[in-house]
Amino acid sequence: MPLHRPLPKKAAAMTKSKIIKVDYLARVEGEGALYIRYDDGGVQDVQLKIFEPPRFFEAFLRGRDYLEAPDITARICGICPVAYQMSALHAMEDALGLVPTLELRALRRLIYCGEWIESHVLHIAMLHAPDFLGYPSAVAMAKDHPQIVQRGLQLKKAGNAIVRLLGGREIHPINVRVGGFYRVPRAGELRPLVDELQRARDMAVENARWAASLPFPKFERSTQNPYEFVALSHPDEYPMNEGRIASTRGLNISVADYDQHFTERHVEYTNALHSVLNQRGAYMVGPMARFNLNFDRLSPLVQQVAGEIGFPPFCANPFQSIVVRSLEVLYAFDEALRILENYRRPEEPYLQCQPREAAGYAATEAPRGLLYHRYSLDRDGKITDAKIVPPTSQNQKTIEEDLHSMIPQYLHLPEEKLRWQCEQAIRNYDPCISCSTHFLKLHLERGDRRLP
Amino acid sequence: MINTVVISLGHRFRSDDGVGPYILDRVRQGLGNDAVCIGNGGDVTRLLEDWMNRRVYLVDAACTDSRAPGEVIHLNGLEEELPASLSITSSHGLNLSEAIELGKLMGMLPHALDIYAICGEKFSTGGDLSPAVRISADMVAEYIVTELKTEQSYKPDQV
Repeated sequence: MPLHRPLPKKAAAMTKSKIIKVDYLARVEGEGALYIRYDDGGVQDVQLKIFEPPRFFEAFLRGRDYLEAPDITARICGICPVAYQMSALHAMEDALGLVPTLELRALRRLIYCGEWIESHVLHIAMLHAPDFLGYPSAVAMAKDHPQIVQRGLQLKKAGNAIVRLLGGREIHPINVRVGGFYRVPRAGELRPLVDELQRARDMAVENARWAASLPFPKFERSTQNPYEFVALSHPDEYPMNEGRIASTRGLNISVADYDQHFTERHVEYTNALHSVLNQRGAYMVGPMARFNLNFDRLSPLVQQVAGEIGFPPFCANPFQSIVVRSLEVLYAFDEALRILENYRRPEEPYLQCQPREAAGYAATEAPRGLLYHRYSLDRDGKITDAKIVPPTSQNQKTIEEDLHSMIPQYLHLPEEKLRWQCEQAIRNYDPCISCSTHFLKLHLERGDRRLP
Repeated sequence: MINTVVISLGHRFRSDDGVGPYILDRVRQGLGNDAVCIGNGGDVTRLLEDWMNRRVYLVDAACTDSRAPGEVIHLNGLEEELPASLSITSSHGLNLSEAIELGKLMGMLPHALDIYAICGEKFSTGGDLSPAVRISADMVAEYIVTELKTEQSYKPDQV
């Protein structure tokens, strides 16, 4: 075919590409950019560009004492520090052969409930709700819907109370350590929480009903390219700190085998590594994955409310993740109350151990999904190697694939609405770019026309 | 009865960003257990709970090229407009202006809001304040202590 033969008019029009540009994606944590090039034939390129400089936590953990890992890694994120603490200390305990007592285990689960509430509620009420109701920010939304923000603040306050009581403060708690806690509360100290959490649980039911009433864009992957949901799965409980890594395509492995099944890849346009399942590719972690793989282990109250609001036990529309988060908030309150009702103070605040040369692995369920840590220690307990895979790194490729699949359905929209839809699709994942490393600028471009 | 509270914003290990916590420490020293002092480590939504219906002194660092380090900016947070945030990054958090705006909409404002922002020079990792910032911080702390001691209505509550 001659290279310079002019294309027929129709074909020429179809190949004219368009690039969407949004310089600043709001209501996500951190800094990044998104570039989308598409034409009438579909989406040609999607790049989620995270250009926050690498933060090198894995490098500067080397040489540090094993006891320091929970507090150092907690600094990766101000929203989910407990998740980093939990994954780090479980990995260290795996290396050192420590098995926490049931009482300590319950307290860890309780503080994790607090963090899920803090993180999820902030996203639901302040970051994601404005998308569905057509507002640019929570402040703008509050003018017309103050009750949404008010309820969010009340729920978050209750989550803060749990984390503050167990962790010493609500952001970057300081009371968690390898083997347990530096100090464990007396039953009398926990008792005042009960009334507050009971009230908040009632509000969480209201919140779930409200979330289910939002208008959701219709979006599901084709049957040829379904999501592979990946989460911890535990036989007896909804997963937080423990379990095997399972997926909707039959993956069922111990956490120690994570590195044999998942690979992190460097991609030229982003500073965050892309994580893929070997031989399979992108996968999704987070609330929807947990929910889809563990629905039957949610508490009876949560299952009942899900039924009442008509929400199915399996959800594949990421725009409905706000409902799943709301149900997980309800679960966290319900679970926290169950733990408080059965509380027995641990005999010792933490288990003692001797350092040894060993490797340890752990994955826990951060609010945004599976958070994997791996450490190697020398005989003095100094860290010789560390690997941390946060949820946002694992979801990056899936976010790009969502945009690939979604945009063709919305090409009829005006550019501004299309851009909004793209941003909302990203916020479905509550991405924490600080964790994966930070921001987002979105470029949508068509032909030689560059949009502001 | 209107309670008075001193609230600091900022990070004490980020050099001059720690001026708020520094002033809070000095107020505590000056007033002992009578001081109601709250250090806010970054959860600006919590501000709404902490300041609602109180008389508030809010101390923070200001990051600006247009003023000299150590310069004190005093604003009535309920009547004057705050300068736009210099931050261009997105965050899960709110900034102070947004918190005030949200407080207005939600009926969660303080009774009075005196903001003392001290212009910083360096915001890198470290626990020391710049000399000019420290001098101003001492002055602001002393002023707040004096105000609180003489305030007729000052009755500390428990936080």
